[in-house]
Amino acid sequence: MSENRHFTTRRGFITGMGFGAVGLYGVWAAYGAAPLPFGNHHETLHQGHGDAAGTLGHAGADHDAGSAMTPEAFRREHAAFVDRFKRPDGSVEPVAGQAVSHDTGHHDMNAHDMGHHDVDAHDMGYHDMDAHGAGHHDMNAHGAEDGHDMSGHAMSHTAHGADADQPVDLYLLAFMWGYNPDILRLRTGVRYRLRMMADDITHGASFQLGAASRIIRLRPDSVSDQIITFTKPGTVLIYCTVYCGAGHDQMQGKIIVTASEQGGQP
Amino acid sequence: MNAPLPSLSDRVSALPGCDKALVRVLFGASLLALALGVGFGWLTALGRAGVAVFEPQQAARLLTLHGVTVFFYWLYLAQTALLLVLAGAERNGGGLALRSLAWIGGALMLAGFAVSEIASITGTPLLYDGGPALGRDDPAAVGWFSLGYLLLGAGLAASSASAIATVITRRNGGAGGALSAVGFALFAWAGFLIVSAIAAVNAFLPSVLWALGRGAFPANQPTEWHILFHNLHYLPLMATVVVWYVLVQALTGVSSMHGARFSKIVFASYLLFVPPTSLYHMFLEPNLSETVRVVGSLLSLFVAVPTVMAFLIIVSSLEAHGRSRGASGRLGWVGALPWKNPVMAAIACAALNLGLGLTFAFVLIQEKLAPLFSDTFFVPGYFHFFAVGTVSLSFLAAMMVVLPALTGSAPWRPALLCRMPAVISLGLLIFGAAGIAAGYAGVPRRTFDISYGGGAPALWHTLMTAVGIGGTVFALGLTVLVLGVARSLLPGPKDSVVQQPVVSWGDTPLRSQVAAWTGPAGVVLVVVAMALFTIVAFDLMNALPLTVIGGGGHSH
Ligand SMILES: [Cu+2]
Repeated sequence: MSENRHFTTRRGFITGMGFGAVGLYGVWAAYGAAPLPFGNHHETLHQGHGDAAGTLGHAGADHDAGSAMTPEAFRREHAAFVDRFKRPDGSVEPVAGQAVSHDTGHHDMNAHDMGHHDVDAHDMGYHDMDAHGAGHHDMNAHGAEDGHDMSGHAMSHTAHGADADQPVDLYLLAFMWGYNPDILRLRTGVRYRLRMMADDITHGASFQLGAASRIIRLRPDSVSDQIITFTKPGTVLIYCTVYCGAGHDQMQGKIIVTASEQGGQP
Repeated sequence: MNAPLPSLSDRVSALPGCDKALVRVLFGASLLALALGVGFGWLTALGRAGVAVFEPQQAARLLTLHGVTVFFYWLYLAQTALLLVLAGAERNGGGLALRSLAWIGGALMLAGFAVSEIASITGTPLLYDGGPALGRDDPAAVGWFSLGYLLLGAGLAASSASAIATVITRRNGGAGGALSAVGFALFAWAGFLIVSAIAAVNAFLPSVLWALGRGAFPANQPTEWHILFHNLHYLPLMATVVVWYVLVQALTGVSSMHGARFSKIVFASYLLFVPPTSLYHMFLEPNLSETVRVVGSLLSLFVAVPTVMAFLIIVSSLEAHGRSRGASGRLGWVGALPWKNPVMAAIACAALNLGLGLTFAFVLIQEKLAPLFSDTFFVPGYFHFFAVGTVSLSFLAAMMVVLPALTGSAPWRPALLCRMPAVISLGLLIFGAAGIAAGYAGVPRRTFDISYGGGAPALWHTLMTAVGIGGTVFALGLTVLVLGVARSLLPGPKDSVVQQPVVSWGDTPLRSQVAAWTGPAGVVLVVVAMALFTIVAFDLMNALPLTVIGGGGHSH
């Protein structure tokens, strides 16, 4: 009987066809998204600079998110970020590159090297850019109390000193029901390190980019990092994609992206 | 090829009266759940289309009621009723074993149904996953809501125990006392239902304890929920292929040409392929490691293996028999099937919808695409192909065979019901196409007012209006079908029973070298479609004016 069977009616053929969907792996590989080691090498070729670093940067970001930044540290840095860069119209515009990183770097390294009572050196570090005392004090005190966190910062900013490509830090806090800051002014071509956290319950942060959106889920007290670069000017709606209660539908913010004059890195 | 047992209808009508009463109650409750759930879903669709405007809290309540009622009570009550009636039928005339356990199970599930509905109507809306974070200020709501699912879980476990006892102690069941392929499948199905019940206890008992002030806040609930949820996804699909297996035999007399053992291996392989793939629901979690994402994506490629194999077993057996009887041309054997029978129409539409559902499910399992789709309307857009188009249509098809046999009533207006699967599928196609497009465009999944003060793209509204239209069409079709099926639950004039058209291909000796290309061609078509929509998604994502390194993917 079985010898007379057409191959399409044999068990082996049916079993093989059952695995047909595995063929999709070929498409994944073509887009550098094949989840096996040999697939990742293609990533550089196919995904451009963004995702080439994607897999590596991704793993790194996971670690950063999970351990390097505590929720307390996030809240402090976030408050300082908003204070420092708030404009009269309420929007927040981080001044290109060096200002943030350099400044923070100074502060951190001072605190680290000289201890928490070195208020003068600390304040001086800030005077040229900005004059928000409260934020500094917080950060200073924090550095002193929390050696763990501190060393993390010092390390990253030492790296900064050696590498002018260090991204500009952004902080976005999601809460019931909004984002803080709710209007961010950014530049094209600048690499930003977007650090995000939910303050109370789980939220989403979805960036509406015209044809589609990019979404991340934000769990309370868990910091997520992404390195982002906008390639075109425009207004980007930020909206919540995880139902979070009565005000969910109103939960929104925006990013106003303008073209960099010099179109590039700080 | 020939079933040694009397027909399914004969075996069902031979069930003892008390078993018939139990399954009638369960079928009735499941149909009530479906009718209510469709109503809530229709209102939800109107809200999403902007045709009806609800207060935010009321909108969330509708969504909660819709999910709880259809996803939990319709699917689980229907599964339990079908499992028990098919198990009883396997035991040819003997009725259910551990009958009192089956009754207790039924009563617990009905109690759960009532508690869940009342909790969803009166308490803070928690959505169907009952996440305690949304109800931190309303522990009573969380407690009652979770209690509903616990009762459901307990009822499932008790009823499934009875079903297992029934299939393993059946009498006269085939030669040599070995389980038939269907008996084995029922056994596996019941086992999975018990796993569901345990997962429900894991996920919801801590919430009840917290509400009673006897436990810490159940911060871990979202993780436990994922395990239950994954089970909830694939169990109804397995149940669906079991139902197809049974119905095709009832409609055509054809059972698998590949032998019972092969079918048993396929049914058992759900256990192998489904549990390890659950990771993909968590791709959007911010702190999931890259390794987990990668492994999750890779394993998910295998999730459909048992379903596709079962589909091919059934279709190739049908095609080989149809061709052996002389059907010619590419689809001549399809034309010879009993299309005037609404059961046939329903399972054929179910198979087509399964192809559509699988196509988009496989776009979603690629972790790098998760940031594009998760938590968007893509998700409801595609899963209704499964939940409504595949699973619900198949369960209703089974009820169209079983209920008249239980009650002796004639099927209600079969010519009308025969058209409903196509109407439902058409509505689904509109709903799904618009919903999936809306997902590609970024429309959030659970937001009713998507205007964002004018900040949202105009296309969003257009697509969601189409979602509302498609939803209305399939809700109407489904309502007619549910009413028609429910009519057979009531006693009717017995002498008017007209046998629905069937064919008997089972006795046909198979011709040598008879080919069965239709199933494989369908599989190839689906894989090509998966590839196409995956390519569209990657191109869309790569064209966005934002490059991103790091961060998370998606979930449901
Ligand atoms: Cu939110």
